[in-house]
Amino acid sequence: MKQLYILAVALVAGLSACKKSGVDIVDPERGDVDFTTYVAIGNSLTAGYADGSLYRSAQLTSYPAILAQQFRQVGGGDFNIPLLPGNAGWPSPKRVLAVRNGCDGEGALSPVFFSGVQDTAGSMANISGQGPFNNVAVPGMRCVDYMMPGYAEIARLFAGVGYAHRFYDHPLTQSPLDVTLKRTPTFFTVWLGGNDVLGYALSGGEGNGAGGVLPSDISLLGNFTSVYDLLIDTLAAIGAKGVLLNIPDITTIPYFTAIPANGLILDETEAETLSNVYTATGIRFAAGANYFMIQDVTAPGGARQIRDGELLLLSIPQDSLKCAGWGGRKPIPRSYVLDAAEIGNIQTATIAFNQVIQNAAQKHGLAYMDADAYMKTLQSGIVYNGVTYTTTFVTGGAFSLDGIHLTPRGYALVANEIIRTINARYGSTISLADVNRYDGVHFP
Amino acid sequence: MRKTGSLALAFMSVSLLASGGSYQLNLQGLRQVAMGGSGVAWPWDVSAIFYNPGALSRLDGLQVYANAFAVSPRVRYEEALTGVYTAEAHPKRSVPFAVYAGGTVKKGGKLGVGLGVYTPFGSSINWGDDWRGRYIVQSIALSSIFVQPTVSYRVNDIISVGAGFVYGSGTVEIHKAIPLQDMDGNDGRSVLKGRAHGVGFNVGAQVKATGKLQFGASYRSGVRMKVKDGNASFDVASSLVTSFPNTSFSTELPLPGILTIGAGYRVTKKLVVQGDVVFAGWHTYDSLRFEFKENTTALRNTSEPRNYSNTIALRLGAHYNITPALAVMAGGAYDPSPVSDDLLAPDAVDADRLSLSCGVSYIPVRNVSVIAALNYTATPQREAFYAPANFHGVYQIKSLVPALAVSYKF
Repeated sequence: MKQLYILAVALVAGLSACKKSGVDIVDPERGDVDFTTYVAIGNSLTAGYADGSLYRSAQLTSYPAILAQQFRQVGGGDFNIPLLPGNAGWPSPKRVLAVRNGCDGEGALSPVFFSGVQDTAGSMANISGQGPFNNVAVPGMRCVDYMMPGYAEIARLFAGVGYAHRFYDHPLTQSPLDVTLKRTPTFFTVWLGGNDVLGYALSGGEGNGAGGVLPSDISLLGNFTSVYDLLIDTLAAIGAKGVLLNIPDITTIPYFTAIPANGLILDETEAETLSNVYTATGIRFAAGANYFMIQDVTAPGGARQIRDGELLLLSIPQDSLKCAGWGGRKPIPRSYVLDAAEIGNIQTATIAFNQVIQNAAQKHGLAYMDADAYMKTLQSGIVYNGVTYTTTFVTGGAFSLDGIHLTPRGYALVANEIIRTINARYGSTISLADVNRYDGVHFP
Repeated sequence: MRKTGSLALAFMSVSLLASGGSYQLNLQGLRQVAMGGSGVAWPWDVSAIFYNPGALSRLDGLQVYANAFAVSPRVRYEEALTGVYTAEAHPKRSVPFAVYAGGTVKKGGKLGVGLGVYTPFGSSINWGDDWRGRYIVQSIALSSIFVQPTVSYRVNDIISVGAGFVYGSGTVEIHKAIPLQDMDGNDGRSVLKGRAHGVGFNVGAQVKATGKLQFGASYRSGVRMKVKDGNASFDVASSLVTSFPNTSFSTELPLPGILTIGAGYRVTKKLVVQGDVVFAGWHTYDSLRFEFKENTTALRNTSEPRNYSNTIALRLGAHYNITPALAVMAGGAYDPSPVSDDLLAPDAVDADRLSLSCGVSYIPVRNVSVIAALNYTATPQREAFYAPANFHGVYQIKSLVPALAVSYKF
């Protein structure tokens, strides 16, 4: 029996030796941060805007709402959102997917306006009495607007955007900063600046690409810098900690990439017919994929083929493209095209604005998230628990049906990257959100 | 006239991987199981058909033997970093069994023949429909039954050899969610179901070096379990139905070749100790492929890397006769995992296994033996990652297997 005893001892020793296996499971800890009062500052991306509108369920799955949920593990408090009453989308209905017959008679899966229960009654009512709010993001907000007194009234009157108006208690006089400070943050995120280039991009680069004050202009770097610095200086002076997110390169989002430059598909007869239209300029078309024709005042005859790297906007009427000769005998109007120079303006401004953001983070020792780099990884695909999220329109899963804003799953991916940034900068161990628990695109 | 590609349905590739972990079951003969699974060197009973066909011709006469095991492993997943999320696989009991008949044709004869029916691999795990890994696997069930006719020849008093032909059949069923939601937010679903077949062999030799010391070696060939015409069915939103046609699929699950070398030593008249070294050729499992008869942009053939490594397991055991009719057994084994830390999928959870077992055998009436045994297998917590799905977590397996066997000697 002695041998048996020796055997048993050896096995028990073996069992205990194998217990150590380098597993790092840690309890959620808040690190150097007090998450009691989290305030989210930003534009539509921060408000939870999706599918071309704002609606209640999307507000509840904005990345700040997801973050606030995760912060509860480490002492985060309530997160008050200026919620809309309904889910139909306000002021315009959201988009949903449906199979629709196009002008060519073929059924195709397309984003269409939601036509279900219209539950937006009361959306206009001022709800500032329910404030102060933790999510003070306003769709359409530019960085350069942040110190503007009466912002909400101006946005409503001149741009038809009533989002701020419904939750600012003094829309005629308050600046966005005034409303932000109604709740003193212990922690904040700032994701501003996207609209300081997006308005220009959405106009097809028809505004001032060198810098101007209109919404279709790229914002002036001087204005951007002074407003951004003042905002961050103010927040830092409170003693709050936070994360500053930079501006993603918007030219990689589906709104600008869903329609390929060489999406003009012709058969042999069509190619010959079209070549004959352009005999004067010598532009030839072949059977198969061709580059679309676009307007260009500097080109001979005022039109040329779009080049690789130049972008077409998702707002191009699909029926015009399919059946009315757009992109062929009718060059696509400039307002639907970003040419190389316009893309250069956007990218130059984005880099400059991002430098301002990074400098502010460094100056105050705040966490900095390179949202631009993160969103670029979506182009090659972000794999999360068995699902590959990409920038592909509709089927990529990360972008909602407007091609600009994210799905709840896309927002959860962003929330997780913010958590990783917080954990790395502040020594916290907040767990990541379960991205796949949230909704993606719904198919009919 | 022209079409723009703006809404072409270029889906995220939906992978439909299945499993294989250390899906080998080491539950073929109860006396050996009670001794840590060792037994290649000693002609214990007719389960030698599995453990070492060379031992069959050293049994004294014919035997029939049957055993069954109640397997219900507990498998636990813990999300990496904070463990805020945990999941436990739904307990599912399976009952692997083995039946053997055979021995020497004449008492004291040199020729042994026999037939074994056993379940050398199997794996079943059900994580539930809504757990975090549902797009990788919701549930998977693999089962097998091998039939092995065997002949054995005792060359002389020292050496005996044997060989068996193996015909294997099995089933596979895999459920997973498809990450495309309908208007109500429900995931799509896929179910792959099929029957698998394969052939192989099992050869072995035993050497009775002295009256006390014996050696044995066996080689069970690898068996490629092929599914040729499985049934792939999908349940997706109606606008996606043409992208996910119900079709047939083929795949192959390679079972590794196993070389076992061992020794047994009679320490006293009552006590035998034995040990086996087991080499498993898992490297043949480099990837798991599914080929669909009908492909679409959404439904493509898949190939998931597995890159298993060969392993060497150790098994030790002892057998002590308290009286001629009553014996106790005990043993243990160390079974390292063939799966690397970055390719551990939740459909084939695995880790280095330590197992302890014990058992008792009793002869209530002449020629009848009854054996009862308990096997406890546990793994340390293993932090692992499944790179193709970017799925990260900490796994742990615990399994308590009670088993019962009856044999009759003619």
